[in-house]
Amino acid sequence: MLMPEPDQQVIDRRDQICRTLRSIVPADCVIDSTESMRAFDADGLSAYRQLPLAVVLPETVAQIAAVMKWCHQNEIKIVPRGAGTSLSGGALPLADAVLLGLGKFNRILEIDYDNRCVVAQPGVTNLAITHAVQADGFYYAPDPSSQIACSVGGNVAENSGGVHCLKYGLTTNNLLGIEIVTMEGEILRFGGKHLDAGDYDLMGIMTGSEGLLGVVSEVTLRVLQKPATARALLVGFDDTGAAGTAVGDVIAAGIIPAGMEMMDGLAINAAEDFVNAGYPREAAALLIIELDGPAVEVDALIERVEGIVRKAGATSVRVSQSEEERNLFWAGRKSAFPAVGRISPDYLCMDGTIPRRRLPDMMRRMASLSQQYGLRVANVFHAGDGNLHPLILFDANVAGELERAEDFGADILRSCVEMGGVLTGEHGVGVEKRDLMTIQFTEDDLKQQQRLKCAFDPGHLLNPGKVFPHLHRCAELGRLHVHKGKLPHPDLPRF
Amino acid sequence: MADLIATTLAEVKEAVDTTLAANRTLEVRSAGTKRHLGRRLSADSVLDVSGLSGIIDYQPEELVMTLRAGTSMGDVEAALADARQMLAFEPPSMTRVTGEASRGVRGTIGGVVAANLSGPRRLTAGAARDYMLGFEAVSGRGELFKSGGQVMKNVTGYDLSKLICGSYGTLAVMDQITLKTLPAPETSQSLLVACPDFAAAVRVIAEIFATPHEPGAAAILPQVIAGEEGVDTGGAFTAIIRLEGIAASVSDRITNLQAMAGGDILPMEKSVTLWQQIRDVQPLAKKPLDLWKVSCAPGDAPKIVDALDPNMDVRMIADWAGGLLWFAASRSDALGRRLRETVASLESGFAMLVLDVAATREKIPPFQPLKGPMFALHRRVKSAFDPRGVLNVGRMHDGI
Repeated sequence: MLMPEPDQQVIDRRDQICRTLRSIVPADCVIDSTESMRAFDADGLSAYRQLPLAVVLPETVAQIAAVMKWCHQNEIKIVPRGAGTSLSGGALPLADAVLLGLGKFNRILEIDYDNRCVVAQPGVTNLAITHAVQADGFYYAPDPSSQIACSVGGNVAENSGGVHCLKYGLTTNNLLGIEIVTMEGEILRFGGKHLDAGDYDLMGIMTGSEGLLGVVSEVTLRVLQKPATARALLVGFDDTGAAGTAVGDVIAAGIIPAGMEMMDGLAINAAEDFVNAGYPREAAALLIIELDGPAVEVDALIERVEGIVRKAGATSVRVSQSEEERNLFWAGRKSAFPAVGRISPDYLCMDGTIPRRRLPDMMRRMASLSQQYGLRVANVFHAGDGNLHPLILFDANVAGELERAEDFGADILRSCVEMGGVLTGEHGVGVEKRDLMTIQFTEDDLKQQQRLKCAFDPGHLLNPGKVFPHLHRCAELGRLHVHKGKLPHPDLPRF
Repeated sequence: MADLIATTLAEVKEAVDTTLAANRTLEVRSAGTKRHLGRRLSADSVLDVSGLSGIIDYQPEELVMTLRAGTSMGDVEAALADARQMLAFEPPSMTRVTGEASRGVRGTIGGVVAANLSGPRRLTAGAARDYMLGFEAVSGRGELFKSGGQVMKNVTGYDLSKLICGSYGTLAVMDQITLKTLPAPETSQSLLVACPDFAAAVRVIAEIFATPHEPGAAAILPQVIAGEEGVDTGGAFTAIIRLEGIAASVSDRITNLQAMAGGDILPMEKSVTLWQQIRDVQPLAKKPLDLWKVSCAPGDAPKIVDALDPNMDVRMIADWAGGLLWFAASRSDALGRRLRETVASLESGFAMLVLDVAATREKIPPFQPLKGPMFALHRRVKSAFDPRGVLNVGRMHDGI
């Protein structure tokens, strides 16, 4: 992965930069020893590591603004970091950039039941939001698998999803307001506790912008009443195609489950070895279908869904009879990644989305790619919304296997786009999928996105080298070439 | 000046290129039913995009519809009804308020998206912007670009779909758009609760939303209007709470809520009609009046209502549990100024002039004015898509 050439002049000024930063924030908020900075040299995409120029951990929004303003004036790059759980390298440091950590912003500022929202600092973990309101029956819906550790500021930057987004949406659908600090050190608020943006939806554009447009310094999140009950079905199929059909049939029947997950044979067995959830080992595909809501409704819908999956050719069906059993159904799915980690020294986790009806095609394509590359692949899907998580198994100690696994992964993502899907459903582009962006987007598509970047950060100082494969100077992007008087369609009406 | 007509994306590009070359400006128009929104335009030409029309691909079991922006809402609703699905954000139609409906005029999906219009279910299901999965458009630079995709879960690149929703045609001319659809609820019913005052109505709704009985929409009508709509409960205000879902679930939940909050149950047929009236702001359209909407934190709604001048002749209704307030008055610049002052003091929300009958928008800007750095950022965003100000320039704010 080629990152932008570090600016040696900035690196040479490192001591002086750290001295100045210590005058902007309390001295102990600047970390510059190699040993201490090691803890920050990677995020969840741990194949890539880089020590930053320095780590700054501000304590107040005013300090964030002051650091950014000074960096802007002195043309020093900034890489924002929440909890560092990104799976795509969004918080990968740069040698000539200050790593701005939001870890100290860990307070919930307000719980407002009248408006059914929580105002929090960006470093609060996703799960802590639910913990703060669950005694009163509320919860925060987006539930990325890293929710125990990932921060809500990072959730905004990555537009994080989870297993329940089919029914409850991603971060962008559960966010009411944000405060951001721009690269120039300006503090701006988008949204609030009201529902709609009255002007351009800048909160919408900030969500999922991967730290390239601004630093999130406060969030206002919508919280919901926890559904009265939840029950799940565990359904085995001897054919992944039939499982895919069943997923479509459930939705065609007008039912939107809270979650609809699929695992393939390899994933089923790895999970079963690990947690003993009672999964059908002989099944080629397993569906976990969860319904939540009022008890009467859930009971009625469970029955309908059971009928649908049996008709679609299910070879085994179990319905959870207790909360304990429901959790057991999920235990295997939730431990699928570590379970696969036990059967292979290393694995790459991919994250594409396809139109759901292409699932059988995709399974066939993956099987043939698996043969071609000589690497095994285990599959877990958010089947309801077509989001795939193929896990490519490899051994980094075998020369060339990492590269082969990466090529395999790139081919899977290429296939996703070919089948009408996209490169990433929830993990983000970051550095991981940066160079694949041209598969999904034309040069003009990408230039238009970068022009938006220029409206926020014309100097490309904020998180450069992420998301976009080619960096264009803003002046060049802004140029507009008009062919004067050239009118190739003379039949069109003219003024 | 002659209109430009585009029926393909290439023709849109051609029209924008030509306009750029001639240093002129365009008003992008399809059915033209949203021209009452925003500032009056004085563009050199109209670009008629009503021909960019038709549903391209609709796969109900994928919950995805791809269609062209000029597709009439009538056609969209018919296709959805065939598959027993819906646009969950419940797009309102303002043509009944403007009187265009009586001439058979319907708006287009492009207009709904461009103005990010959502109805009562917005409170729990999200806005138009939450259902916009992707689009193709021509920017004010005359460049064809796309964003998003045709799948539900996608974080590849900036989410320009959010930005294009509610941009009133000031950034790009949309052609193909992809929306997420959802199954329509099998049944619905409403609970009508009599309340002694407006604040009590907001409070009872908040209490109902703190239960697991899944209310889906909540509106408040003053007694006079409740009477006109045939749902007078005897209270000075009536809180109306809608529940949707399968029959067994709806009747179970509404019984529970009734036990808690009292009130009367409105059966499905009457409930559907009432919510259509509320969605389309019909109760305020009995005679031609200026129309304002305020988007606010639901809990702040009583403060906004209390701050109104009691001598002013204003009709109002509330939706979104109090988070959307509609006000109608004959000469509304004073009303608008008062709403703006109150909203500004609350630091969350905005007041927008939606319809004027007496050239009110020449006296007071229809969009809540943007300040300092926010205005500058909006200008830069506009510039990123439309540097010369070719498309609907000035529709939202000066130069935007």
